[in-house]
Amino acid sequence: MALFTPSFSFKISASSSPRRCRFVKARRSFTLRAAVAVESPSFSSADRDGAPKLLLEVKDLSAVIAESKQPILKGVNLTVHEGEVHAVMGKNGSGKSTFAKVLVGHPDYEITGGSITYKGQDLLEMEPEERALAGLFMSFQSPVEIPGVSNIDFLNMAYNARRRKLGLPELGPIEFYGYVAPKLEIVNMKIDFLNRNVNEGFSGGERKRNEILQLAVLGAELSILDEIDSGLDVDALRDVAKAVNGLLTPNNSVLMITHYLRLLEFIKPTYIHIMENGRIVKTGDISIAEILEREGYKAISNT
Amino acid sequence: MSCSTLNSYLPKLWTPPRSRSRPPRTAITKVFAQPPILAVLSDPHVLRLAETLEDSIASTSSAFPPPPLQKLRDISSQSLLSTPWPSRKDEPFRFTDTSFIKNSDVQPVNPLSTQSLSSLGVLAEALLPSLAIIDGYLVDSLSELPELPDGVFVGALSRLNSEDIMERVSKYVSSFQGDLFWSLNGVGAPDVIVVYVPEGCKVESPLHLRFFSLNGTDKDSKTLPISNPRVLVLVEKGGEISIVEEYKGGDRNDVCYWTNSVMEIVLGDGAKVSHSYIQEQSFGAAHVKWTSVCQECTSIYELTEVSTGGKLSRHNVHVQQVGPDTVTELSTFHLAIGDQLQDLHSKLVLDHPRGFSRQLHKCIVAHSLGQAVFDGNVQVNREAQQTDAGQLTRSLLLEPRATVNVKPNLQIIADDVKCSHGAAISDLEENQLFYFRARGIDIEAARKALIFSFAAEVVERFPDSAVRKRVESLIRRLLDPSLPSREKE
Repeated sequence: MALFTPSFSFKISASSSPRRCRFVKARRSFTLRAAVAVESPSFSSADRDGAPKLLLEVKDLSAVIAESKQPILKGVNLTVHEGEVHAVMGKNGSGKSTFAKVLVGHPDYEITGGSITYKGQDLLEMEPEERALAGLFMSFQSPVEIPGVSNIDFLNMAYNARRRKLGLPELGPIEFYGYVAPKLEIVNMKIDFLNRNVNEGFSGGERKRNEILQLAVLGAELSILDEIDSGLDVDALRDVAKAVNGLLTPNNSVLMITHYLRLLEFIKPTYIHIMENGRIVKTGDISIAEILEREGYKAISNT
Repeated sequence: MSCSTLNSYLPKLWTPPRSRSRPPRTAITKVFAQPPILAVLSDPHVLRLAETLEDSIASTSSAFPPPPLQKLRDISSQSLLSTPWPSRKDEPFRFTDTSFIKNSDVQPVNPLSTQSLSSLGVLAEALLPSLAIIDGYLVDSLSELPELPDGVFVGALSRLNSEDIMERVSKYVSSFQGDLFWSLNGVGAPDVIVVYVPEGCKVESPLHLRFFSLNGTDKDSKTLPISNPRVLVLVEKGGEISIVEEYKGGDRNDVCYWTNSVMEIVLGDGAKVSHSYIQEQSFGAAHVKWTSVCQECTSIYELTEVSTGGKLSRHNVHVQQVGPDTVTELSTFHLAIGDQLQDLHSKLVLDHPRGFSRQLHKCIVAHSLGQAVFDGNVQVNREAQQTDAGQLTRSLLLEPRATVNVKPNLQIIADDVKCSHGAAISDLEENQLFYFRARGIDIEAARKALIFSFAAEVVERFPDSAVRKRVESLIRRLLDPSLPSREKE
């Protein structure tokens, strides 16, 4: 598992130009395969010769709300390779957020069919904490307040869980402080942010920044960003997007859930998927976004 | 109690129960000789207990107690004559079963045995200045009182030399009437520990009152040693003091004893008392505690409590406002990790304008036989306009069949007031647990962190950081299932 080292902030400052090139190339080479991948999920993960490895493969996934048994996902197919940025878009109630939550094992939903393979393992067999330790990270759309637990304690617990998994010694509070403090710059927050209770009394923007801070501290091979743009003003959005871009490497992947196109201006997706009524109904490159921009979801669903 | 037992006690009431060699008689015996009608209303069990206590006091303490102590004993024994043992039919004890005490053979602790125990290693962790009260008796050799500010008195009433202070104490000792346990304490208290802060005096360091119960019996024994510590805190106009009141058993965590403790606190105009209360008695103990507070105008009283011990633990808090613009803050946390009952009965009486009060009570019951009780009464009477009173209680039940009985109640007569109350009872929040798990933290660690955080809201209000740390580690220790807990008993 990739664990971000303290040298991380260096990567941000060194960021854009060289990496962006890599991205554009990557996108070009995948355009065709993407369409295939979605429609025929048997696409193999040949990873020799530097071809990107298969990271996540979702096949015919269906899920219901655990309590009411109301079906939400009705056969989702999606394939993500290392280094790819995917955006899932769709109207309210199309199942986007449910899809994100199901991937990380949220107890509110029950899987009724299909499969999810992550790094060759059956993800559905894994507990939520095992999924997290395997490099899956979801930023919550509206993260819950946890009074009485300070941000730094929470991060320290989570970070140490990772260290244990990797067979590394745990960090005590002081060592951890040294590790975490520089990360605050990534999300443009002051140091007292660490002493506040997790999400307690946080503004919408602070909550999103906190989610990204957790991502920066814990690292992830697949980051699922559930509407990190909702409730943010332009400046905050730019900060958050910049932080996410800074965290991207050629090997880790992103799955963004969003309503809006403006996020895609900041974080460029390799693929865009349109979700409707519990299914991914269309997959393409950024050009889909342009159609959406002009004609709305209607234009997509009619095609 | 059945009729036959009642009758078996009756003749005793008519026989002079003492030999002539005894010190002068006190109220109880005098009243025994009153018309039969009173005796019939009396509860023989209570009378017998009162008599045992009185005998013990008579044989162990001075024959000539200071006048306020004599007055306390007189008033208390008088009221015991008409106070029956509370049953579940009495509203204040509706959810609190005291039969464990009632069915035991209650025996006062001999102070001599206490003094010989005083060499035991109980001294650790004291703040300064500190008083050690073992089984209800002040033990000088374990108390340390470095230089206190001028005019401050901390010590036993029987050794108080100042007539002025004696007069003030006289005015306030037992100015309030509590329940049966309050009066039993009044009869059985060997002395009164007085904390006197003169006008305008601000005592900087917190005063640590450490109560130890070292005389305990095994849980199969029917005998229950009782101690009756009593404290009067009198803070004059503009004075300030911080008090840490702590209760502990001996080394073993399952011995049985009964601590029946009373603290009275009087705050003059603009005075401030910060009161930290920590109860970690043995899990076999009965712990009954009264805290009665009387607040003059613009005074500030802050109570922070954590109670984790006792088989039966009851804290009665009574706050009476006697002037306007008072501030009262009560923050309490009760934890029942075993077959325990944790009870808080609080009553806040506001009779004057512009009082401000905030009460937060939290409890966790982590055992299927555990029980928590909360009765929180706030009275806002006619004159108490522009009162701002808030009350919130939250309970966490972590095991099937764990029980909590909460009765928050506001009685508002004034019409221009701001009052709020809320009560919530729950298990841990699924959403919060999932948040931890989604970050790779296993469910057990997440549960522990959440349970601890629930208590932290109260614990972090202890003003003294050393106290805060100690209570934090106490709670961690109790909640950590890897350590031995009550389950084994």
